[in-house]
Amino acid sequence: MGPLSRETWAQRLGAFRASPSAFMAGPEGEDLGRDLLNELRSEKLSEQTKVSLLALSLEYPAQLWPDAAAAEAAATSLLDTLVLLPPRPSALRRPLLLAATTALAAGNALGPTSGASRRLLPLLLGLASGRDLGRGFGPASEQRPLQATACECLRELESCKPGLLGGCLGLLRSLLGQEGPVQPLSLLLALALRNTLVIQARARAGLQGLLVAGDMPAAGGPWNWTLAEEGDANLQPQAPSWPAAEEEECGLAVLEPSPEEARELRAAVAQLLDTSYLLTPVAQAQLLWLLGWALRGLRGQPPVLFKPQLVRLLGTAQLTLLHAVLALKAAFGEALFTAQDEALLLRRLTLAAQHPALPLPAHLFYLHCLLNFPENWPLGPTGEETAPLLLGPRLCRGLLPSLLHDPSALLAHLHLLCLLCAEDEEKEEKGQDWCPRHYLGELLAGLRQRAALHGGPRALATLCFQASYLVVHCLATQPTVLTPLTHGLARLYRARPALAPHFVDLLDRVGPELGEPLRTALRQEVVSRPGRDEALRWHLQILSKVADGKAPSATLGFLRAAAAHCTDWGLQQALLQVCRALLRAGVGEGLADLLQALARHLEDPDGRDHARLYYILLAHLAGPKLGVALGPSLAAPALTSSLVAENQGFAAVLMVQEAPAPMRLSVGPRRAAGPVPVLQLQVEVLEPLYSVELRFRVEGQLYAPLGAVHVPCLLPGRPCRPLHLPLQPRRPAPAQLAVRALFATPAGLTCHAHLPPLPVNFADLFLPFPRAPDGDKQGFFEELWDSCLPEGAESRLWCPLGPQGLEALVARHLDPFVVVAQPPTSYHVAIRLPPASRLLLRLEAAQGDGVPVALRTDDWAVLPLAGDYLRGLSAAV
Amino acid sequence: MAQRAVWLISHEPGTPLCGTVRFSRRYPTVEKRARVFNGTSYVPIPEDGPFLKALLFELRLLDDDKDFVESRDSCSHINKTSVYGLLVGGGELWPVVAFLKNNMIYACVPLVEQTLSPRPPLISISGISQSFELLFGIQDFLHLGQKNDTELNTKLNQLPDLLLQACPFGTLLDANLQNSLDSINFASVTHPQKQPAWKVGTYKGKPQVSISITEKVKSMQYDKQDIADTWQVVGAVTCKCDLEGIMPNVTISLSLPTNGSPLQDILVHPCVTSLDSAILTSSSIDAMDDSAFSGPYKFPFTPPLESFNLCYYTSQVPVPPILGFYQMKEEEIQVKITVNLKLHESVKNNFEFCEARIPFYNRGPITHVEYKVSFGQLEVFREKSLLIWIIGQKFPKSMEISLSGTVTFGAKSHEKQPFDEICIGGTAYLKLHFKILDYTLTGCYADQHSVQVFASGKPKISTHRKLISSDYYIWNSKAPAPITYGSLLL
Repeated sequence: MGPLSRETWAQRLGAFRASPSAFMAGPEGEDLGRDLLNELRSEKLSEQTKVSLLALSLEYPAQLWPDAAAAEAAATSLLDTLVLLPPRPSALRRPLLLAATTALAAGNALGPTSGASRRLLPLLLGLASGRDLGRGFGPASEQRPLQATACECLRELESCKPGLLGGCLGLLRSLLGQEGPVQPLSLLLALALRNTLVIQARARAGLQGLLVAGDMPAAGGPWNWTLAEEGDANLQPQAPSWPAAEEEECGLAVLEPSPEEARELRAAVAQLLDTSYLLTPVAQAQLLWLLGWALRGLRGQPPVLFKPQLVRLLGTAQLTLLHAVLALKAAFGEALFTAQDEALLLRRLTLAAQHPALPLPAHLFYLHCLLNFPENWPLGPTGEETAPLLLGPRLCRGLLPSLLHDPSALLAHLHLLCLLCAEDEEKEEKGQDWCPRHYLGELLAGLRQRAALHGGPRALATLCFQASYLVVHCLATQPTVLTPLTHGLARLYRARPALAPHFVDLLDRVGPELGEPLRTALRQEVVSRPGRDEALRWHLQILSKVADGKAPSATLGFLRAAAAHCTDWGLQQALLQVCRALLRAGVGEGLADLLQALARHLEDPDGRDHARLYYILLAHLAGPKLGVALGPSLAAPALTSSLVAENQGFAAVLMVQEAPAPMRLSVGPRRAAGPVPVLQLQVEVLEPLYSVELRFRVEGQLYAPLGAVHVPCLLPGRPCRPLHLPLQPRRPAPAQLAVRALFATPAGLTCHAHLPPLPVNFADLFLPFPRAPDGDKQGFFEELWDSCLPEGAESRLWCPLGPQGLEALVARHLDPFVVVAQPPTSYHVAIRLPPASRLLLRLEAAQGDGVPVALRTDDWAVLPLAGDYLRGLSAAV
Repeated sequence: MAQRAVWLISHEPGTPLCGTVRFSRRYPTVEKRARVFNGTSYVPIPEDGPFLKALLFELRLLDDDKDFVESRDSCSHINKTSVYGLLVGGGELWPVVAFLKNNMIYACVPLVEQTLSPRPPLISISGISQSFELLFGIQDFLHLGQKNDTELNTKLNQLPDLLLQACPFGTLLDANLQNSLDSINFASVTHPQKQPAWKVGTYKGKPQVSISITEKVKSMQYDKQDIADTWQVVGAVTCKCDLEGIMPNVTISLSLPTNGSPLQDILVHPCVTSLDSAILTSSSIDAMDDSAFSGPYKFPFTPPLESFNLCYYTSQVPVPPILGFYQMKEEEIQVKITVNLKLHESVKNNFEFCEARIPFYNRGPITHVEYKVSFGQLEVFREKSLLIWIIGQKFPKSMEISLSGTVTFGAKSHEKQPFDEICIGGTAYLKLHFKILDYTLTGCYADQHSVQVFASGKPKISTHRKLISSDYYIWNSKAPAPITYGSLLL
């Protein structure tokens, strides 16, 4: 793209700023970063336009140069542009330095391998130290502002890569002592010092003379990245998180500087503090946060160094300064603030929280600080807002809420009042006319009065309910507060039923202390005024929230009366919602009649259907199931429409849900007895299951259809008796059983799961013959043997024996079927195979590794199965 | 301790979006740190459009609050500070420091150098106070001497350059943006060593020191047996020191006459170098007694170049300057009013102006007024439902004046009459507006001879004083009125 005019650029920048993501996704997006860098060297554009281009790059480097390589290239280009500037005054040098710094730091390109970093860092350090960089680098008049800018750039780089300047501490100290610009150098030194201390402490190394070490790195010489590499792993907060929260994290306690190092450190800190009055207030505050963090927990570094600054700071109204003093208070506690100092600080804070000369946001912040005041000896639990011990009612007098306050101010002051009331519980009964609690009551009444105004803004109602919630939250145990509050809220509802959504919200969020009495009061409030009313829909909304098993007749009476006025769909649904709530609460008597009446008389077919459904549910479902059926839907917790949620709830409860298999089935030991083969099933479950029904289906119709097995309850970890599954084979053949389980979960859902198929083996079908007459077993066997032919089949095969020998093999697999035995060499075995087959075996004259088996059967189809069975016996364990 | 982004948004009720982003600035290097520090709780800074929408919703500045919206109206959604959480892009951006002032919303997001879940208390976040200072600084800059939209636009156009000076990387260097503006202009001056950062150049010219004391008096008067009237004086001492040298030292003493009311709750400018402990501890929280420190109040300081507020104070004078009562009774569509005002004899009876404004809220326009005034004249603003009783420059010799009358109202039209949440039914007030030049209620003055200047040349010293009213309410004594806790401590 050719050079663009000023106007085109203005347009382009405007479009970009309106929505950077949309612009970058558009046709011009891709080229913007490259164009911008090129245009900076254009002769045609004014400096002002170029500054605006650089301003864009300061804000959106990630969009312009999305990866580290692009950022590196951009920084290189920016540095090239900088050195190519003619040696006359230019407004571009400063923003170019800032832009190159931003590109490197934000683009993850800063590091020892980055060529741009290797160029930028020595340049910045050279500028910061006021060294003459030659005539090429700008006129003398710009030296001073560029020196400050270079310090700022270095500080930003140090912030993003702690330890970067660890090797320059000595240099920075000496610059500060000479004639460098005080503020940029002070802040830079403080940050570098803090970071160095943290990194060295973590590495359990001393300061190693870093504070006094020498001069600047030789021009062109390599930058020392050692500390930065160590600090890189863990970006450090510039200011500590509140010390009490993470004493451990501070990590400085392990650093024990040598006496000499300690002296140097003290000197450096004192040097910074002594000139701190030359810094702007916000910069002073930063310095104090940094130094406080640096010295916290450092052995042999008493915080008295800060003491001379405190009185000056306490007198100001400056928010950052007072905040920094609080940070020092939190960091050093009694070591820096005696009890008297603490009291004074608290008084100044109290004063600042109400001083008419300060703006409201400052008041509110100070009030927050009061309730989170870092006391020397805190009594209450940490992490909760409390009024500090020294903040008695007298100090608080000007901090109490008034109806004239803004909403957030009112809530903030109300919180303090609640805390005072909570503390004051025991002193209460002394009969003061205007005790805090009385005042609280009046205030809440005033809020309710305003909320009750018809047509008043919603914000007033919201404020009233927020205040009520806050009071309940703080004073839940005080009936003297809650009782009038309950009554007041009930009166508010009477005055303005349109606030029903706020009441429902409040009931959802408060505990039973207010919730229970308020429910009762609201229910009475609603049911005591039946009939047609503008507010009917609000009444129904409230009732659906508060209707429970108590006094159902009054509620039902109200509903019967209301039904006549529920002419539109919405009202009918609201009415049915209440019925639903009553169903859930287990109200049966009277409700059935009402539902039947509704199912007949409601105008809307949807309403009638719903009423009928509820009636059917009431008639057919037992209490717990009903509760679950109507309970909040687990399937759709995010849906706000109760109807949709309800439908989903029904769908979930009344329909069978597909679920992953919650149990494992296996076939247990055989039980060869009885008229038919019976599988013994063993069950293990992963979760409690109720009303379990196992359904089996035989593939290929080999057996007659199988009956289901029912188990009332299965609990994990509790052994269950084996389940018996009788088989009725149509042919004596092994098969696969497909298994499905139906069950109810503890949540009341009915589920359905497919289980892995169960194999039925050939041997599972074996049954013994009825017992032979005692005397003539051999004859009985021979008779069977002979009866197989001529229809049947005969075969001989070799049955391999394992090391255990024939006797063990028979005992293990064939024992129930042995008719004649001459251990250990000869066994005659007769097996009945339902429905009507037989298998006869003669195992005789066993040799070392096997036994010849003569077998006969009356069923041809059995022969191969029997063969496989016998050959597999020795392998079967 | 840094800012991730800052916005200025003009609030424009009635327009489709209800506001426009007038200025925004993001700090990507800080954002990068935020991502590391906040970890999984990190929520990126949104683009201007979504931010505007989310902020206006949270601040209730969208026109639509007809329906209950849980995320805004829930009783547990309690905000006790000017710090908010905004729902943007599926996450909650927190902490957003924001406030509305003169139809402009000032907002910024400070860096929190830890995880945001659970939320750390605000007091532990160093960037929070910096956010406030930045926003206050921008606010001061925009409204200093600003008279119209053109000037506002000019100043808004200067903001990018100013923030490039005052907050180049998101860490605020100077909340005084005027100072930054000067530093751009002073850029060519070679600075000598130990130049304070808050003073960008040196003054050249005739030395002069100007001190002006402005006291504002506010009051709540009820004329009721069981409720105490309250009043309070708030003073501000403004200085402009045109003195040569880098660090001239100045000491200003504020004095009180023998029966003057002690100054309390003194807050000083950061340039004040030391403070007497009596000044630091004199506070309105304590019970007043004769031993209260009554000056002189010495303030040694090194002045900045610009005009600045050397200190603020409050004071509890024994009586309010004007004591009055206001009785209003409703009778169907009209109200009967009686007002009586009495100037205290100790007060200088020479006003620049003095008037009583009597508004009637939540009613229709005034259709008819019958009245009698013992002094001054009454102006009727029918559409605004407002009476203004212009008392003028002096109270009569009796020091007491009265007004009585009957006001009739037309039908209320909701569109034109804004709703007032305080003045409902009989609850009503009149508000006094007055100004007295060369006078302070406390008696506080800066003696020219007590001003010490340690600089070359003898400066010309000028002092000014004035008293103005601020929130001076007299409530209808025939109906309930909003009270503060202080009014109950008779």
